[in-house]
Amino acid sequence: MKNMNVTCNDRDRIFEDGTLAEWAALEAHATTCPPCAEELGAWKSLSFAAQELRDYTESPALWPRIERALAEEAERKTLRAERRGWFSFFRNIPIGWQTVAASAFVLVLTISAGWFYLHPPRNGQPGDQSLLKSKALKEVESAETTYVQAIDKLAAEAKRQLDNPATPLLANYHEKLLVLDSAIADLRAQAGMNPSNAQLRQQLLAMYQEKQHTLEEVLETKQ
Amino acid sequence: MGTMGLALPWKARISSTPRERGTRVEPSEHFAGGHHPAVVDAPSEDAALAAACRSGDLRAYERLYAMHGARMKNLARNVLGNPIDAEDAVQETFLKVHRSIASFRGQSSFITWTYRILINTCYDARRSRLRKKEVANEDSEETPRHEPRAPGAHPALRMALERALAKLTQHQRDVFLLYEVEGFRHAEIAGMLELTETASKNTLFQAKKNLRLMLEPPRSSAAEAR
Ligand SMILES: [Zn+2]
Repeated sequence: MKNMNVTCNDRDRIFEDGTLAEWAALEAHATTCPPCAEELGAWKSLSFAAQELRDYTESPALWPRIERALAEEAERKTLRAERRGWFSFFRNIPIGWQTVAASAFVLVLTISAGWFYLHPPRNGQPGDQSLLKSKALKEVESAETTYVQAIDKLAAEAKRQLDNPATPLLANYHEKLLVLDSAIADLRAQAGMNPSNAQLRQQLLAMYQEKQHTLEEVLETKQ
Repeated sequence: MGTMGLALPWKARISSTPRERGTRVEPSEHFAGGHHPAVVDAPSEDAALAAACRSGDLRAYERLYAMHGARMKNLARNVLGNPIDAEDAVQETFLKVHRSIASFRGQSSFITWTYRILINTCYDARRSRLRKKEVANEDSEETPRHEPRAPGAHPALRMALERALAKLTQHQRDVFLLYEVEGFRHAEIAGMLELTETASKNTLFQAKKNLRLMLEPPRSSAAEAR
């Protein structure tokens, strides 16, 4: 290799992005230049010192813990997929019809909620049982199922963006949807115990609508 | 910038043990030694691992852990300061990889992508620790408190380096840890931190300049100070 001439002025540049030949030339220069010898020594020492921060000792409990967490998550994923499988027919319906179904649900739910509001059930009376089985309630529940499927479809489309949010805005949507899902789960649990509570149904409807709008906004950010 | 009052162990500084990674061409690899887990995954191996993880095969995740778990935990520990938070961050990273593997399109290598998730997870953990501190009305500066670990060859040097690293910018610290401690190449670091390779080199240079001043100011500047 042809000898390369470097001076003290080249030192920082070589430290930052020098080739192997330039490093060799700097080493040679340092044998006759004490300031460069000192700097070169200090530079190499930092690499040596960095080894002190390297500790690759085994953590025997860590993999079993991660494996358990992964298995639990995989199981939850499978359960979710199975639940969706029940309504797989819905997913095969064109998106336009799903929107129609969703709108129909909102209409039925609004009318039913209004009906319940105007005709509040009298708690504790035997008539409640027949009310539970009323046609309106069945319609609400069936429409709700349809609407939830439509929202699930939207959620599946937005999933990729939400799982790996590229912007703080998407991260915010993700957080908001998690909060909404949790609130929906709570309200559904309460509505399950008291199906004819119109106020609960109205709150649930508001949550679903909010979720639908949020998902639509997420999907719009894709464009 | 003040000195940490610690002389670097000049006599012991040059180790002839080359890094196991033969492909890194930066000169500092000639000076640093020590054990490294396998890092350079052939592209086909990387893609195969990504595909196996995508298929949900838990053994693939176990392989990822066997190849990178120790290094991931070490990096997390150096960012977060203690082994418990580091293990939590590694576990969270595996769960995030599992959740979002479907969205991995191979723009970078799978391993680079995994480390990017790990680094983000560590900083999320730091931020949430900071928020908790703020709620508790404590000192708002988030400097990881480094818990003692198994003594190395030069514990005083390690402690001084940890203190000095805490004073660097986040990028300077990350690049120093990834390059000098974990042995990644600038091209890999660029992918992990979403920088250019040139920026990675420059950031390492700035980090080392600052560390050098903090750990042992050059004799010329010490003389000026007198
Ligand atoms: Zn010189």
